[in-house]
Amino acid sequence: MFRALRLKQAPVKVAPEPKTISIEQWLGDAQYPLAIRTINTLSHDAKQRFYRTLIPPELLGQLGINPILWRGNGYAVELFADPESGKVNLSINNPEDTRDAYFVLELQDNSTNGIDLNLILLNDPFAEKFGIEYDADGHATQWGTITRNLVEEERAQRAGLAPAQVRAGMGFSREVLNQLDVFLALCARQAISLEPLTYVSAWIFEKRGFAYVRGHKLMDDIHREFQPGGKLHAALDHSTPFRHPDAWQTVRGRAWAIHDGILETIGERWRDLRMIKVVGKHAGVETFPEAKY
Amino acid sequence: MRDTFIFTRAAELDALPAFREFIARVCERLKISSELAFELQLACDEAATNVIKHGYAGMNPGSIMLELRAQLNTITMLLSDFGHPFEPVETDAPDVDALLHDEPTTGFGLYFIYRTMDEVSYYTDEMGNHLVLVKNTGKE
Repeated sequence: MFRALRLKQAPVKVAPEPKTISIEQWLGDAQYPLAIRTINTLSHDAKQRFYRTLIPPELLGQLGINPILWRGNGYAVELFADPESGKVNLSINNPEDTRDAYFVLELQDNSTNGIDLNLILLNDPFAEKFGIEYDADGHATQWGTITRNLVEEERAQRAGLAPAQVRAGMGFSREVLNQLDVFLALCARQAISLEPLTYVSAWIFEKRGFAYVRGHKLMDDIHREFQPGGKLHAALDHSTPFRHPDAWQTVRGRAWAIHDGILETIGERWRDLRMIKVVGKHAGVETFPEAKY
Repeated sequence: MRDTFIFTRAAELDALPAFREFIARVCERLKISSELAFELQLACDEAATNVIKHGYAGMNPGSIMLELRAQLNTITMLLSDFGHPFEPVETDAPDVDALLHDEPTTGFGLYFIYRTMDEVSYYTDEMGNHLVLVKNTGKE
């Protein structure tokens, strides 16, 4: 006899069910993995202490926000972490239009008891805003993933933005993801997963140390087919403003062409990609070597 | 001495030569014999092929992360993936005679790994599925 390996039939839970972890258990064992749902059962002030670790103090400083009080310069950090929810959402919005977010970070317990990074937005408040998130009839486009505002997208593209960006970025993605590692370690969690919204997002998360749960081969295929002689390269025929013949040379150019549906050329769509970052470990993935942004 | 090297590629058969080259490069840097490096390469080939063919079946393949950790007397090869997890089962050893006579047989890859590595273990956690292979290097 010897020990072979066969495929498991059921998904594996990577941590205990959040509802089964009491604060007492968690306080008594520094290695016990903590879920968002468990933190959310704490008092508002205790939650704020935990979630404070998620926002880099220098980001708050740049906006004139006191990192302890979470207020200042007319801005405030909003915390949504309902006691019965496995989700936490932190945001800093335009004081004059709360739908205009400058910073959003949302984490959620997932079905295997891991933690997902649902959303990260870092928009420069002083940069021009592009109305790509609402179509001409005022309906939400979900950053151009459901419907599109082509006029605003074209303006955003010309201004040097990537798909799904409403303003130029604030920077700080490295700092926020570093803080996220600190938060995860605080919670005795070892990894975080996410679904990249765009090709640019996937490329940025690669640079920040993420690997792929799904879609690494797709990213390799995209890079190969954008090379001269490839099918995606050939499909950059200027048939729309987002398929400029030079677009293959840059991350942003490729991203706009992909956002425009160019992957249909190779029988694919931008969907089902999933990435994972192990705390303290950089996977070293680079699907677009020596990329120009 | 303790050192760690990480190399990640898509779970595709095309990536196997890159994994082999990475192992050769690291072993050369660590002054590990070419015989031992060859055994690590073969073990990696077998394990990665298993992940590529079965672990990521039915999905757009994700990554395989290969990590080599050198310690004083051992080298540890950690192969991590994020596909379907496996589970250990007790089974008969594969029929080596059948293999020698070109008859269909399965399970030989892992059997080979057990024969060449000094320690073999497998587990799944928050960070993925991990096959841990340890080889004594005999260094003092």
